[in-house]
Amino acid sequence: MATFLLIRLLRWTAGMFLILFVTYAMMFYGAGDPIRMMFIQGEDFDSEDEVVMLALRKKYGLDEPFIVQFTNYLNKLFRGDWGRSIRLQVDRPVIEMVRFRLAISMQLGLAATAIGAVAGIALGVLAALYHNRILDRLIVSSVLFINGIPIFVTLPMLLLLLVLQLKLIDVPYGWSGLFHIDAALPVAVIAIGILPILVRQTRSAMLEVKGQQYVTTARAKGVPEQWIILRHMLRPVLTPVITTLGLVMIGLINGSLFVEYILNIPGFGLLTIEGIKKVDYPIIMAVAVVGTLIIFVSNFLVDIIYPILDPRVRAQ
Amino acid sequence: MSGEAATGQVARIVDDGSVFAGEQRSLWQDAARRFSKNRLAIGGLVIVVLFLITAVFGPHVAPYDFLEQNIMNAFQGPTLEHALGTDDLGRDVFSRMLHGARTAALVAFFTTFISLVIGVAVGAWAGIQGGRTDELLMWISDLIQAMPGLLLVILINTTLRRPIINWFDQLYMQTRDPFFLNTLWLDYVLVFSALALIGWPGLARLIRGQVLSINEEDYVVAARALGCSELHIMLRHVIPNALGPLVVAVTASMGGAVTLEAGLSFLGIGIQPPNASWGSMLEEGRRLWQVFPHLMLIPAATIGVIQVAFVFLGDGLNDALDPRRTG
Repeated sequence: MATFLLIRLLRWTAGMFLILFVTYAMMFYGAGDPIRMMFIQGEDFDSEDEVVMLALRKKYGLDEPFIVQFTNYLNKLFRGDWGRSIRLQVDRPVIEMVRFRLAISMQLGLAATAIGAVAGIALGVLAALYHNRILDRLIVSSVLFINGIPIFVTLPMLLLLLVLQLKLIDVPYGWSGLFHIDAALPVAVIAIGILPILVRQTRSAMLEVKGQQYVTTARAKGVPEQWIILRHMLRPVLTPVITTLGLVMIGLINGSLFVEYILNIPGFGLLTIEGIKKVDYPIIMAVAVVGTLIIFVSNFLVDIIYPILDPRVRAQ
Repeated sequence: MSGEAATGQVARIVDDGSVFAGEQRSLWQDAARRFSKNRLAIGGLVIVVLFLITAVFGPHVAPYDFLEQNIMNAFQGPTLEHALGTDDLGRDVFSRMLHGARTAALVAFFTTFISLVIGVAVGAWAGIQGGRTDELLMWISDLIQAMPGLLLVILINTTLRRPIINWFDQLYMQTRDPFFLNTLWLDYVLVFSALALIGWPGLARLIRGQVLSINEEDYVVAARALGCSELHIMLRHVIPNALGPLVVAVTASMGGAVTLEAGLSFLGIGIQPPNASWGSMLEEGRRLWQVFPHLMLIPAATIGVIQVAFVFLGDGLNDALDPRRTG
């Protein structure tokens, strides 16, 4: 077991370094000179500017060769120095920006996960209990339908419906805390985004459990049906649902990217887009670091939790 | 569930347990029967076919040039002259939507084609070689699949676009070949490649699994003993056996490419103006959506309908091509 986890940990760590390396290389050889862009958008320079640019490049360590820059970056990264923003909010420490933005996105994400998980698992269980009946078909095809529609279509459509047609809410714009009414729509839309994965996984796990002998035994002994569902079926159903954590995280990242962009919420997704549009190296790198970290930590967590929940896996 | 009789008649055990001898049907006939019973899937197929037809012929029958501006006519609602109204520059929205269909279909087609080529090659190589090669290739494909694809595509697109365009500028300076002057199509190539880069791992896994499972089959062992090459086995045995799942994967890949391209253009990263894309039309419509909602509604509804059609089609194909199902 320990060796298994160690191998997984090594694989994920190596993967993370590979992705950081590739990202850094792409930016080093690709993205264009941020200092030059900082000055004039591709227009002519006088010699004075060239001197200032050289000094600035030195300041940000952009005059070193690739390998030196990359190792320097990693060194500083571990010491909590993620560099300073070059163009977005000039000279502000990136880690500060990330911390501030991530706090907002995490509130959105956690609220959406909580709602999505409760609704998704409940719907999945319901669908399985009414297998091949109308309710099941309804749930399955609605989930298929929701799964098809991208979030950047769902949100504008909901805005048109709720704001213009029904006049139920004002345009939610910006961020005024999770418990402000403006947060309801973004949380709901992100929750809808992760719903299909959860419903599908719960439903198929539940169908598998439904026919098990111990369930029949419990029923024969006269255990009430709700009790069977809650005590006997839900736990083996939740185990495979945990494995979708990686996919759920991808859903949250995609969701926050579009939702924050559309509603101008200053979260991590908006930081990503702003940083990329302005070619702000340290911000883009920070986005790559945090993004890969979220994904790999959640995948590794699944590797750890799964054998704890499922004794059959532990035995292998 | 079926045992084959020598006469070409098949004894079938139907779902209710009764046995009947019927005419033999091929996998594809079976699949077609199952598919035609699925109304949602048929609806999806119709919409996807309409979309492809629009992509091919639409721009030729478009009532206006999709770039033609007429500021005097800006922000019109649907009228007789402009079926879907006009946008902020007075361009005909209907004509732009038709061009957007071509963009979306091009992206769907080329992205899927490139991922298919890479996926089949890598999957076959990993499956045949096994060992270290297999582990390394599957590690890389796991990595790509674990990452949020959109983030990767955004990174690739933003970082690689500028140097490639600069490189073309330099080439033009050196050669004075007008080929290097027009860089509009480069956006398309970049989007195809970036999307294919995150698209191949799924297909590679599929093919690898097929190679591994079929390698043990007697007829493959026999073919190998007769001196058939790995390429021959790949083309004659592995791919035909994987055709069902491949068709499903290709449908999903096309739908996914359309969404991702629209999403990229929506963020202002994918296909750049003046090329028309549904995603960038949605973004443009978003600016004044409370005053002119139709400019946001039309592209949003179109992307939504096409996506749902692809999903239902894929789901129907998945059910129909699963040979374990009967009826």
